[in-house]
Amino acid sequence: MGTTSSQLNKNDLSEYQELTFLTKQEILLAHKRFTELQSKEQKGVLHLRVPMEKIHSLPELKSNPFRKRICQVFSTSEDKDGSLTFEDFLDLLSAFSDSATIEIKSHYAFRIFDFDDDGTLGYGDLEKLVNCLTIPEDKQKDTEETGLTREEMKQLITNILDESDIDKDGTVNLSEFQHVISRSPDFVSSFKIVL
Amino acid sequence: MDQRRAEPELITDPGPVTLYGEFTLISNRKVRCAVKLTERDLVVQRLTSAPVGRSKAVVLSLKDCVGCRAYRGDDNKADRASYFAAYFYPLKRRWMYSGVSRQRVEQCFRLSALQDPRANLEEAEKWARAVRERSAQQQALRDGVSLHSLPRPCRMLLLVNPQSGKGQALTLFKNHIQRLLSEAGVSLTLITTERQDHAREHVKEADLSQWDAIVIMSGDGLLYEVVNGLLERSDCEEAIQTPLGILPSGSGNALAASVHYYSGAPPVTNEELLLSCGFLLCQGQVSRMDLVSVHLSSGPRLFSFLSLAWGFVADVDVESEKYRHLGAARFTVGTLVRLASLRVYKGRLAYLPASGEPSDLQLPPLDQPVSGDWVVVPEEDFVLVLAMYQSHLAEDLLAAPGARPDDGVIHLFYVKAGISRAALLRLFLAMEKGTHLDTNCQHLVHAKVRALRLEPRSPEGIITVDGEVVEHGPLQAEVQRGRARIISG
Repeated sequence: MGTTSSQLNKNDLSEYQELTFLTKQEILLAHKRFTELQSKEQKGVLHLRVPMEKIHSLPELKSNPFRKRICQVFSTSEDKDGSLTFEDFLDLLSAFSDSATIEIKSHYAFRIFDFDDDGTLGYGDLEKLVNCLTIPEDKQKDTEETGLTREEMKQLITNILDESDIDKDGTVNLSEFQHVISRSPDFVSSFKIVL
Repeated sequence: MDQRRAEPELITDPGPVTLYGEFTLISNRKVRCAVKLTERDLVVQRLTSAPVGRSKAVVLSLKDCVGCRAYRGDDNKADRASYFAAYFYPLKRRWMYSGVSRQRVEQCFRLSALQDPRANLEEAEKWARAVRERSAQQQALRDGVSLHSLPRPCRMLLLVNPQSGKGQALTLFKNHIQRLLSEAGVSLTLITTERQDHAREHVKEADLSQWDAIVIMSGDGLLYEVVNGLLERSDCEEAIQTPLGILPSGSGNALAASVHYYSGAPPVTNEELLLSCGFLLCQGQVSRMDLVSVHLSSGPRLFSFLSLAWGFVADVDVESEKYRHLGAARFTVGTLVRLASLRVYKGRLAYLPASGEPSDLQLPPLDQPVSGDWVVVPEEDFVLVLAMYQSHLAEDLLAAPGARPDDGVIHLFYVKAGISRAALLRLFLAMEKGTHLDTNCQHLVHAKVRALRLEPRSPEGIITVDGEVVEHGPLQAEVQRGRARIISG
């Protein structure tokens, strides 16, 4: 790495094609959009990180209720601040691309929904998931705006666990998640970000 | 005139005589029982040397009795006794859960009072006959909804889809249904379906005089095949009057849940729902069932007995269709995924309100505009349109609590665009108990109609009829009151 020109060189391009699900066009477009997000001083230096807020300004992510978690999951930053290098960015787009397999998508979806990063989807994670989906974002900090009542949330999460929690341990682990999400083909079309 | 003197003229037939007998239990010949058979119950009182207060009489209602048979003892054993066994499925408290469900109770007695084995057998047969006849009478006493009862004994064609319900259908049949139907004296022709349309083709060609009822054990899709197959016959008007029965095998059984609901029993699922539906089948009360004929812009007419859906519900329903063999539980996760990418469906909806006396419907064909007595919905952006003619959309979704199989009405629901995700989720959660109409959701509209026309404008989308995908395009649906027959206990 350490490219400083504003264009990708051929070797890197073919390497990225091998390592990700993205086509050549998609990688070039990603490069263009990434460098646009960079500040003037950083432009073209691909191993430098673009802060999460800037990534969120992309129209494809702007209204995605999970954009914060998405950046956190793909970020390789030691500060865990959700900032992305170009390669992180490509990993993100690769997982969300048309060609990514359902195993890859469901694997990353699982990590995104695992808000507390404890390796399993517990009650708290599922609750946050539903709130992300149902509470409009400008109201999420508002403690009175609760989308669903506590009883409704409990009923909903009970249903989710009835459908997904095979070993009945009260949480959904990765393989249970993958099993249930593969029964919902609509998941593939929902889990998509294409520039 | 002296009122009291007038009464004797009004005496009606006092009814069947109460039978009394003293028998022993099969399991323990030392235990004698006093058995009494009234018009309504079988009462069994153990006679032991212990104080009378200790032994409570067991009272079994004949409404819960599916059958009774008498038989000789083992010929080789020189056993002069005969036996009769009565089979009941009363509602009992569920072990470890709240609520009640039907559980099997067998009462078997040994008669050996007389020296002559043939006399014992005659006595046993007399009892068995009396139990059967009185049970039939009790079960025929309904609130006036049933047309007639199935003959007893009864011949049934049972079509089972071995793949339905996680592939458990045949096991469920062997473990629960086979014995029940045999106790009820049903003679059964069992056919396992091997592919799509197998059932449809079979009923289209079969000689229907062989059976008193056609029963399916599968999801709703198999009954859809049977209904449409019957209506493709040249003798369709007669054929469609064949009483139809449904046994849920664990994948998409909205009709079974509805039939159970109409019986007034509290909701149950899985094997308990299966046993409840089996019991209702043995009761054999036949009622009318509305059908809805659906015209699409191309292709022949379809006949529907459950629902028609477009938009959110159809999408969620159909995703799970491919996974039906994995079992019924699928709505919540599918709903959440759909909710994440909630979209709007554009189209025009119009309906003919149900009012007053039903008359012969003269409907404009699909390519002609609707007439003045139709209501044209002003909005053109929808989240879902759902037409229900039974109470349940799925085992756990009571979408139309007021629906009845022969009310001659299509319960039309639609949700206008603009509803928030939270409100939509709230509607589905409320639908589990059938309280969604009480949520005061501004975006939900409910109307009782006789016909409807839907013209989708979105290029893509899914329309389901009874959960089966049909061509996406303009359609018109009209109710045909009471055209089919259903066994609903």
